[in-house]
Amino acid sequence: MSQIDPAVLRALAEAQGFEDLDGEFLARVAHGAANAISAVRRTLSGSLFDTDPALFLPTLEALAARERE
Amino acid sequence: MTPDASELTLVDAAAAIAGGRTTSRAVVEACLRRIETFDPQLNAFVDLRREQALARAEAADAAIARGETPGPLHGVPLAHKDMFYQAGQVSTCGSRLRAGFVAGQTSTLLTRLDAAGAIDLGTLNMAEFALGPTGHNAWRGDCRNAWNPAHVSGGSSSGSAVAVAARFACGSLGSDTGGSVRLPAAANGLVGLKPTYGRMSRHGMMGLAWSMDVAGLLTRTARDCARVLSVVAGADRSDPTTTRLPVPDYERHCARGVEDVRIGVPRQHFYEHATPEIRKLMQASLVAFESLGARVVEVDVPDGNELTELGRAVVYSEATALHGEWLRHRRGDYSPQVAVRAASGLGIPAPVYLEALALRPMLVRRFVTEVFGACDLLHTPTLPIPVPTRAETDVGSGAAMWDIIARFVHCTGPVNYLGLPAVAVPAGFTANGLPASFQLIGRPFAEAALLGAAHAYEQVTDWTRRAPHLSAVGCGPQAT
Repeated sequence: MSQIDPAVLRALAEAQGFEDLDGEFLARVAHGAANAISAVRRTLSGSLFDTDPALFLPTLEALAARERE
Repeated sequence: MTPDASELTLVDAAAAIAGGRTTSRAVVEACLRRIETFDPQLNAFVDLRREQALARAEAADAAIARGETPGPLHGVPLAHKDMFYQAGQVSTCGSRLRAGFVAGQTSTLLTRLDAAGAIDLGTLNMAEFALGPTGHNAWRGDCRNAWNPAHVSGGSSSGSAVAVAARFACGSLGSDTGGSVRLPAAANGLVGLKPTYGRMSRHGMMGLAWSMDVAGLLTRTARDCARVLSVVAGADRSDPTTTRLPVPDYERHCARGVEDVRIGVPRQHFYEHATPEIRKLMQASLVAFESLGARVVEVDVPDGNELTELGRAVVYSEATALHGEWLRHRRGDYSPQVAVRAASGLGIPAPVYLEALALRPMLVRRFVTEVFGACDLLHTPTLPIPVPTRAETDVGSGAAMWDIIARFVHCTGPVNYLGLPAVAVPAGFTANGLPASFQLIGRPFAEAALLGAAHAYEQVTDWTRRAPHLSAVGCGPQAT
């Protein structure tokens, strides 16, 4: 898993107006974020050019179970 | 001895009130007596609305006396997580930052429960901003497990679970973004339903992560859950993310049984942290299903850790956006752990967040095809470890934080990213005397099948009929 440098995270956070973040706080945030980023990277297996997140609910509806009558 | 009216299940209470065998006032008063006796130690309630509840109960009884046709929840006392807004009332969302927040709108779910005749007893404790799987809350005080207050209640719908388990209320609304209904239900011996994304309206409910949040239900039995779900499910013009698919009669489906239903046992992921006694209880529940005519089959499942982390990319990005202004200017008003988790989106680039969202339709299609091609319902532990003590898990934002969270949501987390329905069902007790639970996961909108299976299982076990002995575990007048 690639790590996120807390110093880089601090610079990004400060650019967004988050001041006075201590090193331990940034290290915890970096750890949690790095895990999530790695999972997305590992899961990507092709282009997302033809995908649309708005299709999530219609996909669920299309996959809905047929009730046993 | 006459049984305490608070001992009635939701369905039995509704039937007794409608049939004139008891009154709403008697049931509400029995619940209020228990709350006043035991809640000082359990800390489930935030705002007990005693007089309002009694007035509503009297009105419900008067309606019965006039011969009016009762609604499906007529006169039944419920109480809800303190994040379902009611116009003119305070909703704290478990946070100091919302201590005086007066809602300007009423949750669609509360409106539907009200129309069905339910009595609202008040608001319930929860993890701060619904960000915590254990039930700790540094500001409000921890909500404590109804079976043993030294143990965690589970979270984030901690008060919901404890209130129903302690017989303070017959049912409760919670919310579930990573396990927040199923985990406290599991820890307190209850049925906890996380419905399919889109099945229940979120209008007037606090948001944690728009793309992942769902409201859920905590009740003592599957049939209770089916009754409430039939009332609250369905499209809502105020929430465009609700589905227009029709709402089944869930209670009727409870009678279907599980004959020839294929119960899938995952070969991967879900048992990685399961202790021997949890495995034994899971096996016993599978034997019970086989005795009911179900077929138990082993199935391969996609990587659950990846699904949970994909969900985190979404939840943390959206939570950081929601909390950004407070995190900039009032960070000290958050507990340390919640501040870290709410700020974790700072480390997730926008393209990664959008990739995680864009992958969802493809990954849920793959999961449904692969897993539900081989079985009808997937059976897993809900919490893979015995319910720990509050002290064992009181780690704040320390180094153990991510490990504790990961262990708690190991079995529940993957479900939220996929938007699938799942139900936690009581499955016995571990050696520490705390409840254990299995989780059934279904295809999208298969809530009827989930509750039907849970109901069938309840007919051959007695876990849902067991109640915590609150006096015996240090709650009540003798407590210091």
